Amino acid sequence: MNPLQVVELLLFPGLTFFVWLAFAFEWLDRKTYARMQGRRGPVVTGPFGLLQPVADFFKLASKEEIVPTQSDKFVLRWGPALYFAAPAIGIAFIPILGTQAILYHPLDLLFMLFILAFSTLMAAMLGYASAGRYSTIAIGRLVVQYTSYEVPLILAMITPAVLAGSLSIQGVVVAQGSMWYIVIAPVAFAVFIIAALAELEKPPFDIPSAKTEIVGGWMTEFSGNTLAYVKLTKSLSYVFLSALAVSLFLGGSGGPVISANQNLQSVFYASYFLVKLFAVGFLFFVIKTALARVRIDQATKLFWTIITPLSLAQLAVAILWVFR
Amino acid sequence: MSEDTKPDQRRESSAGLMQYSVESAMPFGPVHPSLKEPEYFKLILEGEKIVQVIPRIGYVHRGIERAAQERTWVKNTYLFERICGICSFAHSLGYTHAVEALTGFEVPKRGRYIRLIVAELERLHSHLLWLGLVGHWAGFDTLFMWVWKDREHILDLEEAITGNRVNKSYSIIGGVRMELPDGIAAKIQDELKYIEKRADYYTKLVETEETFAVRTKGVGRITQETARRLCPVGPLLRCTGIARDVRAEDPYAAYDEIPPHVQTSNDGDIASLLTLRLNEIRDSCRMVSEAVEKLPTGPYKVSIPRAVPQGESTFHVEAPRGELFYFVKSGGGSAPERVKVRSSTVANILTATEMLKGHTLADVPIVLTGMDPCFGCMDRVSVLDVDKSKEWSIGGEELRMYGIEYYKRKLS
Amino acid sequence: MKEVPRRNIGEAVGEMFRTVLRTPITEKYPFGDKVVTERFRGKLDIDPVKCTGCSICEIVCPAQVITMVPVGKKMIGTREVDIKRPSFELYTCIMCGQCVDDCKFGALTLTRNFELAVFKKESTIMRKALTIGK
Repeated sequence: MNPLQVVELLLFPGLTFFVWLAFAFEWLDRKTYARMQGRRGPVVTGPFGLLQPVADFFKLASKEEIVPTQSDKFVLRWGPALYFAAPAIGIAFIPILGTQAILYHPLDLLFMLFILAFSTLMAAMLGYASAGRYSTIAIGRLVVQYTSYEVPLILAMITPAVLAGSLSIQGVVVAQGSMWYIVIAPVAFAVFIIAALAELEKPPFDIPSAKTEIVGGWMTEFSGNTLAYVKLTKSLSYVFLSALAVSLFLGGSGGPVISANQNLQSVFYASYFLVKLFAVGFLFFVIKTALARVRIDQATKLFWTIITPLSLAQLAVAILWVFR
Repeated sequence: MSEDTKPDQRRESSAGLMQYSVESAMPFGPVHPSLKEPEYFKLILEGEKIVQVIPRIGYVHRGIERAAQERTWVKNTYLFERICGICSFAHSLGYTHAVEALTGFEVPKRGRYIRLIVAELERLHSHLLWLGLVGHWAGFDTLFMWVWKDREHILDLEEAITGNRVNKSYSIIGGVRMELPDGIAAKIQDELKYIEKRADYYTKLVETEETFAVRTKGVGRITQETARRLCPVGPLLRCTGIARDVRAEDPYAAYDEIPPHVQTSNDGDIASLLTLRLNEIRDSCRMVSEAVEKLPTGPYKVSIPRAVPQGESTFHVEAPRGELFYFVKSGGGSAPERVKVRSSTVANILTATEMLKGHTLADVPIVLTGMDPCFGCMDRVSVLDVDKSKEWSIGGEELRMYGIEYYKRKLS
Repeated sequence: MKEVPRRNIGEAVGEMFRTVLRTPITEKYPFGDKVVTERFRGKLDIDPVKCTGCSICEIVCPAQVITMVPVGKKMIGTREVDIKRPSFELYTCIMCGQCVDDCKFGALTLTRNFELAVFKKESTIMRKALTIGK
């Protein structure tokens, strides 16, 4: 591959860019969370506290790593790398510069589903390998929550694919040149947001890592480097799911007027995408601040009785719309 | 603690089928993020459902009652208010009232009114603290931050009046320590109006916010029969509908002239505790406002000679958590012969463990916080030998020798 | 009977957006000033001129902060007695103010200084009253 591709892969819009996006998301998360509660959020490191997530990452990476004696050391050494790789590869498929993504495959929407499942599997494996009392309870809750939100998430992601007639993200983005899918299928967007909150373990669905009940959830026994990378991966998953929402429902880099196919400057496309990305992120932050944590049985009941039927109904409506 | 890590497996067969019932014991505490102070609760779980809770107390035992025997009467006011940070003034009131009863001097009226004002301000700050904590344990950090933001107004008022936010050192034997500052009456009224407005908003919020209401309604329910059997005190008793309040039944300070309206609520679960405490916040605002308006002139303390005559006296006050009970025995010397403190959390802890039966692990922090625990107040050692019908307190050296002998016998 | 209010999700959102518009309550200390009230009980201070060495502060202190140190001798009639002045171990002080209340000569005050952290415990021992011994 030529040098330009390598630069793209590593710098922009590649790994470094996504990591900085993850830091920016974490900063915005903490700032809005704090301001809505009447506090200030990070202030000291960097202007407006912008470097606070970076400082936290380096502080964690510089600490000693304590590994429990009964844990599975092989999984704990290589698991976090796989856990980090899942959303990192996933973002590489999302077209940021117009219709061009770093990696492309005609069926990459299915690959996205696999990545989401793989993420949770790695989290459960890491929690199980930690061999702590709190981790064991946490992965039980994680797996229960996973079975509840997985079906609505898949259905919500298939709906734009049905509307666009294509199973690649690029195809979905191009097909939204005339009208964003959030207008045609708003229920699918709402279901996607709710299921994404459950995937990311954010309130109201942050039971698997409930800080006040089971100490740290499946991340309890991590420290040092492992914890730094796990937290970075959680922020990266945030970016990944927001980017998915933007591509599937908000037209990616394109819009109602400008189709993503035209050859405008890629900077324009990138900034338009970023604006939408931060808007979706802001929506996540507001929901996270406004709601309490529900119990695991209440979450399961909510997903199976309300969310799944809604997403099924939406999918049926979408199919009928396409074949009208 | 090897007995806690191995699950206790029992196989029961019923109707010919092999039924597999696994009971495991999970320790909660002493060090846990959801406990402000260390106590050990052994949760016997079946899956995620709690079958029984066994508390083990004594982790914050500091020997305060023994330390009190070596300090003079005046020095002990500073010792007893440091039993607890949140209900500090209630402890101070209990001690000073008990000693004043021994000396026979009466506190002048203005002193009693000022004591009521500071005690009710402390009740406000304690209930707001509790409200924030319930929000925090339920995962609703936004409520936590907002409530503690409002609590700062009360703490600034207390700092303006007494000089410190907790451990106020304001009540002395004979009255209060110094006069109220100038211009404080208007400031108090403004802050009270603000707090009442916020209490109205929080009442609406805790009842209508779905994700929070669903965590508190029906959780930790106790009935009136259970309450009469286990004898909790304070808001935990009043939330079952039984109206008992020390301020109304046995008034001290200025409560005979400004009586409280005893609040009750009916369901006995955490949601009704929320409603009850918010109503108590509004009632306290009313009482402070009335006391500030009706504040009589005159001296605020009376000079009492430092030798306390011989005798025994008891006194109970209504701390924010319930009934707080002080027993003081004087031998005529410069230091008390015996002081015994029975705080409210001792009475509430068994009720809280009863409230937890049938609930899941996720409810444990909320229910334990619901009884508003203050383990610092709780740990005083008293040994009751039911067989011999004898009760005594064990000193430090005796306990140590007893422990040595016990383990020597066990190993031989 | 009060009717049960209708429950909905997102009740707190309105208040959240109102809170953003107000000034945050976090104070900027140590990058700004922290103002304490007039009666705030901070670090202890002594006016050595007013102290007569009567030792009442040593007797009443609940935390045993004060030690009376002999700094000279004087004659009362035909007897020679010690002149004592107080030395304060301020790391034990609980800032209760009992010594301030009981000093008949008004030599002790509690200032409003709350920045008391030091690197060495010995640097909190206040001996300024020992220099005036006569």
